[in-house]
Amino acid sequence: MPTLRKLQRRFAAALFADADESVSEDVRADGSDARARLGIYRKQLHAAFARTLALEFPVIERLVGGEYFQRLGRDFQAVHPSRAGDLHHIGAPFGAFLKQRFGGGPYDYLADVAELEWALQECMVAPEAPVFDLHALQSVDPARYADLHFEFHPACRLVSSRYPTLDIWRANQAGPAANEIIDLASGETRVLVQRCAQVVDFHVLSVPEFALLEKIVQDFCLGAAFEAAQKNDAPFDLGATLRRCVALNAVTAARVSTTR
Amino acid sequence: MDAQAPCSGIGLRSQHHAEFLERRPALGWVEVHSENFFARGGVQRDVLAAVRAHYPLSLHGVGLSIGSTDPLNRSHLAQLARLERDFNPILVSEHLAWGSVDGRYMNDLLPLPYTAEALRHTAARVGVVQDALGRQILIENVSSYLEFKDSEMAEWEFLAALAAESGCAILFDVNNLHVNAINHGFDPSVYLNSIPPHAVREIHLAGHGVERLGTRKLLIDTHAAPVCSAVWELYGAALERFGPVRTLIEWDADLPALDVLIAEAKKIEQALQVRRADAA
Repeated sequence: MPTLRKLQRRFAAALFADADESVSEDVRADGSDARARLGIYRKQLHAAFARTLALEFPVIERLVGGEYFQRLGRDFQAVHPSRAGDLHHIGAPFGAFLKQRFGGGPYDYLADVAELEWALQECMVAPEAPVFDLHALQSVDPARYADLHFEFHPACRLVSSRYPTLDIWRANQAGPAANEIIDLASGETRVLVQRCAQVVDFHVLSVPEFALLEKIVQDFCLGAAFEAAQKNDAPFDLGATLRRCVALNAVTAARVSTTR
Repeated sequence: MDAQAPCSGIGLRSQHHAEFLERRPALGWVEVHSENFFARGGVQRDVLAAVRAHYPLSLHGVGLSIGSTDPLNRSHLAQLARLERDFNPILVSEHLAWGSVDGRYMNDLLPLPYTAEALRHTAARVGVVQDALGRQILIENVSSYLEFKDSEMAEWEFLAALAAESGCAILFDVNNLHVNAINHGFDPSVYLNSIPPHAVREIHLAGHGVERLGTRKLLIDTHAAPVCSAVWELYGAALERFGPVRTLIEWDADLPALDVLIAEAKKIEQALQVRRADAA
């Protein structure tokens, strides 16, 4: 008799690798083929995964078609199986998987659309955070403003792409932009994805705004973030950008670096 | 209504959240899948808080993989414990199943071999979960499509022994009993009569589908159809053996209108009333 561990490993191998022979000798034959019975579990394994993936990436599913999405999901599951009892996390590496699969080709943009959809998913379930208290800044010596670090709201994500991914996303929703033909060369995307009052919004950012926020997310101080924003030729107003971030509740707190 | 009184409830799914909260139907309790509310923010937790404000709540887990030989997933357990603390449910349940090995999750309720080793292992894990949550949990019998050659006892013996050894209660799924009785060819009354009535604290009813494997018919636990007459009949027998027990209608796929679930719950209520009258 195999140990419980050995039996579970054989069973998993049979389901994931279509290797029925590894476990069929452990299954009682009572009127129907052990392989056919295992097939029911294999079908469920792929169906549950594909259902969740489709819920997380409805635009990708629409772009590639339901049938192809199923095949893509199965290939994705083979390299990135679920690692938790909660299926909601499975989509995290999907963008990277699509990049590897389609990067450099005519469907290169799919990975970036997936990144946008995943950012949306993450924002939907992120915790709340307190509203930024501007009064806290009054105690900061203006000479130390460049040393300020800001906390980014957990329900915000920055997403960029060389493709018009936000336009693609909108064209694949119900609404006025539905089914609009998008020219892939029509522009880049820099967007702040944000959940606010249970609704996800997209805020389009300029090149320097995005550069500034990207550094803030990476916990660079304001001085370094400002420097990154200024590297671009586009006009940039630091005060206006910070006011916008606070108004959007994209930053929730500030602290001064302990070292300079 | 007394939160502990045996009464009917429904499994609440996201498609019905808005309508459910707007109408607030007269139901004794509501059950949700624990994992759908693990996230720390977002609309789901707000919905659950609103539901909990008006109904007794049961948390039903599908992903703890309690029978797995991998180390118990402490992160999953911590999330369940947090949910339990935040929402103070009347019941917390999991399945007599495993779903992962070597860190790979199949996110399914896979059958165990009914061996002494599996019993020791599962009872110990149930104990760890109960200690972590500081409460008794319920373990549900699952539908299965195969049996293992090396099983040393029947499923019903395993379930009863698990309850005795771990101190857990039983969530008795009558549809799963029917599905397994057909799939594995046993008499469901033998199963029913082997389950200690005092251990059963909840009953599930659901619908199933049919699949043909060659010449053989196999029932599949789809939760996508009305409860069939054979399961209603078995439910009557279960109430006769266990007495009136809190009972839930489960429907997960091809979800019908909320009114359909409420109508099924009313049928349960009628059966419970008959049983309560008999008991009185």
